[in-house]
Amino acid sequence: MNEKSPTTYELLFGPAHPGSGNFSVKLRVSGEQVVSARSDPGYLHRGFEKLMEYRDRMQNSILSDRVCVLEALNWNLVHAEAVDELTGEEIPDKARYIRVLMAELSRIQSHLIWYGALSMGLGFDTGFKVAFGYRDYLLDIFELVTGGRVYPAGYICPGGVRRDLPDSAKTKIEKTLDKMKIMLRKCENFEKTTLYPRTRGVGVLERQDALRLGATGPIARASGLYSDVRVDDPYEIYSELDFEIPTRDEGDAYARCLLGRLEMRESMRIIRQVLERMPEEKLDPVKPKIAHKIPEGEVYVRNEIARGEAGIYMKSIGEETPYRCKIRGPSLLHMIPVLEHLLAGCQIADVPAIYWSLNICPADMDR
Amino acid sequence: MNESDLIRDLDKEFGACAQEKRKRRVWVSVELNELIDVCRFCYGKGFRHLSTISATDYPSEGMYELTYFLWSYEDKLLVTVKTTISRDKPVIDSVTSIWGESAQIHERELHELFGVKFEGNKDLTPLFLEEWDGPPPFRRDFNWRDYVREKYYDKENEREKPYYL
Repeated sequence: MNEKSPTTYELLFGPAHPGSGNFSVKLRVSGEQVVSARSDPGYLHRGFEKLMEYRDRMQNSILSDRVCVLEALNWNLVHAEAVDELTGEEIPDKARYIRVLMAELSRIQSHLIWYGALSMGLGFDTGFKVAFGYRDYLLDIFELVTGGRVYPAGYICPGGVRRDLPDSAKTKIEKTLDKMKIMLRKCENFEKTTLYPRTRGVGVLERQDALRLGATGPIARASGLYSDVRVDDPYEIYSELDFEIPTRDEGDAYARCLLGRLEMRESMRIIRQVLERMPEEKLDPVKPKIAHKIPEGEVYVRNEIARGEAGIYMKSIGEETPYRCKIRGPSLLHMIPVLEHLLAGCQIADVPAIYWSLNICPADMDR
Repeated sequence: MNESDLIRDLDKEFGACAQEKRKRRVWVSVELNELIDVCRFCYGKGFRHLSTISATDYPSEGMYELTYFLWSYEDKLLVTVKTTISRDKPVIDSVTSIWGESAQIHERELHELFGVKFEGNKDLTPLFLEEWDGPPPFRRDFNWRDYVREKYYDKENEREKPYYL
């Protein structure tokens, strides 16, 4: 169909749409069919890469929370690893375990938001409320451990973690995991009648397209591309842990949604292992290092966060502040080429299913 | 293929001096005119995933350093290809012919934030900044504090004073 034909019109999806995030897609529509889509980012651009050039490592670790609101701890970890690799500092064993523990809790929390937003987008309010309700149990853990419910204020920082786990944390996490198990069963039960019919066969991303468009993480794995930074390029203690990487071959919105649920299960497995093997010794808190120079050098670290591949390229010329810090968020590619590709040719009613199945985060796209 | 195979191949084909910084990380600096050939060579070797492209500004040396991070799903290797371009005439060939749309977005971003022009990239429309008339904001010599003070400080408004002093 001709894009400029007089029978087409423009439909704006976002940025004022409930739940779309600070992001919009301009759809060119003919009747009920989307002819083409054009992403319009930039509503949340804060220029972190530039801001980090003005701040030292501890200030930057707090700033790194804000890269993605929905999984602040994972971004904390990426930043901390970049600095650690530059300084070559020894991280205490226990701190490594706590880092992985918090990163996996944060992954579950982020997947719950994904599940909730997708349910809400499809008009399935119960799913939204169940997911967000259970997410609060995880926020309670974050509050107990880091002091902040959403923003941990640089809890995972260069040199380890800000403070040791409180004594009550282990039991609390175990109890929460049991609750999560119940929730996952609930989700499984109502999925067949609610999410399944709306998402099955919708927005199919073929494997070669996933490769070409640069999809990573759960989006790529739902299209049959087996890749996970935790396994391929292990960091922290992931190489010692036993977990599986679920993949699907269908590549549709349902496969992506299902994968989120399966990944939560694997994350819970990782958390149980980490709790079991957690070293007993007491961990000294990391004291903020003021006026400490970062040694000269450059690194590129990659992490698997809930949305896909996250990376930070950091260049230091021996000053307190990094000379250049490039942040690679997974959403940039998911929300522009992948989304535009999937939306072209679909029905208007399917737009929410495709949009939210991509596990979007405008914050890490705009940075 | 492991790290040393890749280093040997790059040396044989281009005479490039690649080095292994740690396990799974190979860094190589190439001349500007070789960049596309090196990228195509790496793509052929299985580096199908362009993780990201970064630019670093060196005003005192009058150059930009462009850094390409390529990941191979088969060999689990990350190769970083670096090259430099002149700061006065920041023009470079696009790698969209190799990595397609994913490269296109990264280049679009760098064009907006650093002012690097990628020849062969069909769409370099700004992504993030709206109605921006200043210089590319991520250059080292762009001071955002000064820019904001000049552009937005309403000196007649007493209440704004504490924020801009």
